[in-house]
Amino acid sequence: MFSIYQRGQYIVNFSLTLVGLISLFIVASSWAQLYTNNVFSIDSSISNVTPTANIKFSRRFGSSGGKPKENTKLIFDLDTDLTPLWNWNTKQVFIYLTVEYPGKKPESSNKVVYWDKIITDKNGANLTLSNELSKYSVWDVEESFRNREATVKLEWNIQPYVGPLVYGATLGKSEFIFPDVVQNSKKTKEKTKNSRNKNY
Amino acid sequence: MFWKLLSVVSNSSSPIVVVLSGSMEPAFQRGDILFLWNRFRQNKVGDVVVYEIVGKQIPIVHRVLREHHSLIKQLLLTKGDNNPVDDLGLYNYNQLYLNKDEDLLGTVFGYFPFLGYITILITENQYFKYALLGFMAITTLLGNE
Repeated sequence: MFSIYQRGQYIVNFSLTLVGLISLFIVASSWAQLYTNNVFSIDSSISNVTPTANIKFSRRFGSSGGKPKENTKLIFDLDTDLTPLWNWNTKQVFIYLTVEYPGKKPESSNKVVYWDKIITDKNGANLTLSNELSKYSVWDVEESFRNREATVKLEWNIQPYVGPLVYGATLGKSEFIFPDVVQNSKKTKEKTKNSRNKNY
Repeated sequence: MFWKLLSVVSNSSSPIVVVLSGSMEPAFQRGDILFLWNRFRQNKVGDVVVYEIVGKQIPIVHRVLREHHSLIKQLLLTKGDNNPVDDLGLYNYNQLYLNKDEDLLGTVFGYFPFLGYITILITENQYFKYALLGFMAITTLLGNE
């Protein structure tokens, strides 16, 4: 008294249950490995962080209506070994250099990424970078960064073959103060003047 | 029923989504299934979120690149890992940020590979659709119930 439907349903149900159980086992074993590897306290050193600032006018750099917008970049050194993040359920690790700084009010805050990298191979996880230039030119919600204090950290995200995403940060930390815009470029000066006079 | 329950638990109108584009490769490929959670009060930088731009009904899965928050509001800028630039070009004209409370469908917390490819086959491949319909028709005709 079995129809094709019933047989099909049984096979699908059975295989889905198996897939679920196997996935659970994979996730549990990889988490156990992460904890025994102490991945939430991996050391890192972020040093020689040198920020630079300039003025941009394009929408691609956060400006609206042609108003001048302060953009900042970083140059930094980085040294860390992220190989403990690898186990049989690690598909890739996404690492990102975050900078956190206060907002206008005491309860407001900002966090931005200056640099990131996709690592797909365990052999590429031991990183030593020097004089690395940030990937992004970063602007704030406000017009300027106003010489605020900033904290730099290196964070990571494991993207697994199956299961939940795992997030964490390395221990290394560095601080800097956002610089003033260097006003020696003639072009920048003229542009700033123009945008003040004209209404786009 | 299961879907509704999942919606209520995760507080998201679509708690499970299928990846349609390659902008997050190699982490997420077309056809992979993502599980969403929408009960975080704020998002962190590095979170992978699903958002929908007002007026464009395509959910997009990208990573948070910047966040600016106060007590009442959070602004996010996103970027696909595999894209060279951030998502400014995908947003509406004159829109510089996403609003966490208005634009986000949820935050990705879990991943399952490939299984969602069935939905892509059904929606994008007409032959597969007809084959599926034909198979169902034949089994109902032949089945003796």
